[in-house]
Amino acid sequence: MPTPRFTFHQPQNLEQALDLVGMYRTNGKILAGGTDLVPKLRAGLMDVHHVVSLNRVPGLNRITFHEDDGLVIGAGARLADVALNPEVMKHYPGLAHACSVMATTQIRNMGTVAGNIVNSAPSADTAAPLLAYKAAVILVERGGRRHVPLTEFFSGPGLNVMEPMEIMEAIRVPSPPRRSGSAYLRLSARSKVDIAAVGVAGFLALDMDGVIIEARLALAAVAPTPLRCPEAEAMLAGQKPDPQLLTRAAAACVRACRPIDDVRATAAYRRKMVQVLAGRVIEQCYQTAERGDA
Amino acid sequence: MNHPSIIGASIPRLDGRAKVTGRAIYTDDIKAPGMLFGALLRSPIPHGRIKRIDVSKARALAGVKDVIVGADTPQIKYGNWRLVPASQDELPLAVDKVRFVGDEVAAVAAVSSDIAQRALELIEVEYEELPAIYSVEEATAEGAPLIHEESQGNVSLVRKIEYGDLEEWFAKADLILEDEFKVHAVSHAYLEPCSSLAVPDEGGRVTLYTSTQTPYIVQCLLAHTLGIPENYVRVMKTQVGGGFGGKMELRPWEFSASFMALRTGLPVKFTLNRAEELSYGRRRHPMSIYSKVGFSKDGKLLAKDFQVMLDGGAYNAMGPTATFLCGTFGNMLYNFPAYRYYGRHVYTNKPPASAMRGFGAPQAAFANETQLNLAAEKLGIDPIEIRLINAMQTGDVIPDVATVSSCGFKECLEKVREISGWDAKRQAKTPNKGLGVGCFSFISGGVFNWFDTKYNFSAAEVKVFDDGTAQLASMACDIGQGTDTVLRQILAAELGISIEKIRLIAMDTAATPKADLGSWGSRVTLMNGNAVIQAARKIKDMLVPVLFSQFDLNQIHDVAFEGDEVFVKANPKKRMSFAECVYKALRGRRGEPLSAYGYYTPRDKGLVSPAFSFGAQVAEVSVDEDTGLVTVDQMYTAHDCGVAINKMAVEGQLEGAIQMGLGYTLSEQFVMREGHTLNNTFLDYKMPTAEDMPPSVYAEVETYEPEGPFGAKEAGEGLAIPTAPAIAHGVFEATGFRCRKLPITPERLLRGMGKLR
Ligand SMILES: Cc1cc2nc3c(=O)[nH]c(=O)nc-3n(C[C@H](O)[C@H](O)[C@H](O)COP(=O)(O)OP(=O)(O)OC[C@H]3O[C@@H](n4cnc5c(N)ncnc54)[C@H](O)[C@@H]3O)c2cc1C
Repeated sequence: MPTPRFTFHQPQNLEQALDLVGMYRTNGKILAGGTDLVPKLRAGLMDVHHVVSLNRVPGLNRITFHEDDGLVIGAGARLADVALNPEVMKHYPGLAHACSVMATTQIRNMGTVAGNIVNSAPSADTAAPLLAYKAAVILVERGGRRHVPLTEFFSGPGLNVMEPMEIMEAIRVPSPPRRSGSAYLRLSARSKVDIAAVGVAGFLALDMDGVIIEARLALAAVAPTPLRCPEAEAMLAGQKPDPQLLTRAAAACVRACRPIDDVRATAAYRRKMVQVLAGRVIEQCYQTAERGDA
Repeated sequence: MNHPSIIGASIPRLDGRAKVTGRAIYTDDIKAPGMLFGALLRSPIPHGRIKRIDVSKARALAGVKDVIVGADTPQIKYGNWRLVPASQDELPLAVDKVRFVGDEVAAVAAVSSDIAQRALELIEVEYEELPAIYSVEEATAEGAPLIHEESQGNVSLVRKIEYGDLEEWFAKADLILEDEFKVHAVSHAYLEPCSSLAVPDEGGRVTLYTSTQTPYIVQCLLAHTLGIPENYVRVMKTQVGGGFGGKMELRPWEFSASFMALRTGLPVKFTLNRAEELSYGRRRHPMSIYSKVGFSKDGKLLAKDFQVMLDGGAYNAMGPTATFLCGTFGNMLYNFPAYRYYGRHVYTNKPPASAMRGFGAPQAAFANETQLNLAAEKLGIDPIEIRLINAMQTGDVIPDVATVSSCGFKECLEKVREISGWDAKRQAKTPNKGLGVGCFSFISGGVFNWFDTKYNFSAAEVKVFDDGTAQLASMACDIGQGTDTVLRQILAAELGISIEKIRLIAMDTAATPKADLGSWGSRVTLMNGNAVIQAARKIKDMLVPVLFSQFDLNQIHDVAFEGDEVFVKANPKKRMSFAECVYKALRGRRGEPLSAYGYYTPRDKGLVSPAFSFGAQVAEVSVDEDTGLVTVDQMYTAHDCGVAINKMAVEGQLEGAIQMGLGYTLSEQFVMREGHTLNNTFLDYKMPTAEDMPPSVYAEVETYEPEGPFGAKEAGEGLAIPTAPAIAHGVFEATGFRCRKLPITPERLLRGMGKLR
């Protein structure tokens, strides 16, 4: 592969960054941690003449949490920082878990949640938990800002609704209600350091009697995009879980997915694993929800 | 046995610091003035005839200095088995046919690697596609297309071993088992991709810096294919980032770099990338194994009929040796009266398989050990017990092969039973957990001279100087296994000087004594160690008289070399420093330097190896019965490598072996479609990482090997053998599913357990 050659820009603030992104919208790329971008450049997969780094833009790496507003993850926040953030660990354990088990130590120290979402791989590990937490992304461009719910963000493998001049500024996640629980489980063949072959995230909110008020389930690596499972969610709402309901809801998750055979796993195995992991995730969510009033 | 304290010490690698700080120089780090960058054009189809090649556009590209195709070269076939010229089936660049996706067709040298890459795209090749074959079953079927026209039905080599009356012993057996096993290909996955830099020398000579584990073999075969005298080629091994059997042949880029360097008068470098390595590189042999065994009801193994087809890929490479050794490993661990081995090496249209750590043994052991566990279960005998019943012992004879001169196998079995808590844990039987056992034996270098060298198998030259230092020159090559350190330990022990005082020259085929066959077959410590000792003893013979004349002694006294001093054993006051002793010897020799050669070639040691290592391993595994994921919780190993010269190095070998065994058993495999390798990145080729390593406990069972230097045997490849059968057995104990096919992926396991259709 010929060595890629490009101009490297390091804007000092968001304004400059937006200018550069606007100027090079046809042949430029944004760089956060670079853990997706750089391998692609090296493999000669893209024709890029300008790389715009966000790493000198101040404030982008903030992670803030307020009871009322919820969580804001700045686009520069590293996976490792999100994984170890006490607030994230407490209120969004599924996300913290995703950020702590995905990739490798080195990649987690460089890679960002925003990069993971913008890259839009079907297997993106933070996507399923963020979908389950009903996250939205904040996109900015010169003279504008919009909120896009994550459910409307992904449009295909590696594809999303972002415009070329837009920068993802942050990810917003609503505050979880009391008596709720959440979890993320992922599975791959080389247990520890690997891209997920299947990922399942869940969120359950309960009333005082332990009846499910709201259920959200999301899957990764089993369809062209990460996705939610409305049928299973509807099945759970208004119910107290029992083993049969769990099995039926997990089966509904299987119906939601459209897995393929690839070098990582066969479709049959992925379907089976959605069944297994969805069952475990719902159970885990329910148990933490029942325990916690916090 | 008393030996100098440096023997058995845990001395950190002398090259370790340079490697972990990034200062070690590997071939790709070397830049020669005016150097050109090479690139290889490879066949995009698995099997076909080359109709036409047009390189004119590539040649016309600015910056391109040379383009070569097969027709430009001397077209001399090569292969490691010089003893059997018919087995030499490879050409550096294809001439008439291509036989696998990746077969080298043309090479380019240009002023930058980008230009070289672009030039490749300008080469036009027209192929006539031929039907391709991807399995040994297809290849040996009636009327299968021939990959090499001169082969017998795509079988390139047959090896038979037979002793004892098979029929008779099977008739006596109370239990007969017949099983089929299938094992797959895996990558050596050495960290350093192959790299070679050829520098033209005066008079049509060439110096080749190359990432190899066999500098001598490369020297000979390269000279042969270039059509120049052997000693016109000088091979310099630089630091090598692992080999595992994947770097022990002449390779097309070594030829192309040298050939183009001679043509252009400029240095030429080729460096492969990981995708090339995984797509086209050497691999471990897949095998289709049939095994029939007969046992008496008290667990005695009576007879074994072992039939193996090795999937060799497109060329022989080291396949003939693997075919021989697979048969040998079918009977090396246990002593039984009747054995028949029928091994066939079969061509297919896939990247050639070759030597890989264990060299036919991991495959044979997976079948043999699994079948032994099956027998144990059927006979109601504990799996370790059945091994003790049949275990090889010191003095046992492997018919027509060897006499086992030291063997701690039984002690290893007892030891691993103890350290793993085998009996108690099997009693307790925790759900979804299991304990499995696997054993191994391995050669400490080979006896069979397939390379047909006229020189000794190993050689060393030792020089000593009047500053008390020494210099060791040897062609033996350290590819990361630590022999540079171990050989210096052996010399330090023999001369009684500190290890820091020894300079090592070990890589240069022009400056080190002929020969050394290379780092494979776990041969270096024993063979080169013996050569070092012989040379050192000759030096000592030159020094002892100095002491005698200094103290006016008669010759019956024993002299000791220890602590950088030389003294009379019975009267240690009569001593002088090693430096002074050399100085006086030099004066006596009127300035002629003190130097001596030592050699080693195994003699009267049967057909296979001068010495055999043994060991037993227990794997403790957990299985998630819903996902099929296997976790290895703990490994226990007991190991007889004779006297361990460097304990830390042995432990390093064990850790690496467990890592490789883990991948071989559970996660690594090539996903191939129509001859193309689909998973050619570490993202999709699932090699275990440091994070996946199970904790491991290790016990050494020390024996003394009379043929080994200071009693040492091999500690490199043997350890790579037991892990797959041990884990597979653990999985069986946890799930009830006996896997006869590797790897045990979560999916295969779930299907085996009937949980996935
Ligand atoms: C060895 C290895 C292992 C990995 N393992 C995993 C894994 O287990 N799970 C997983 O999900 N991923 C994995 N990845 C992929 C990758 O590390 C993650 O997706 C990571 O989160 C990407 O973040 P980044 O900051 O490095 O993205 P970058 O590479 O910097 O960017 C990714 C893409 O997003 C764009 N982009 C980044 N930030 C912005 C922004 N603020 N606004 C607009 N566009 C932006 C870039 O232009 C680029 O197209 C792995 C990668 C490697 C190399």
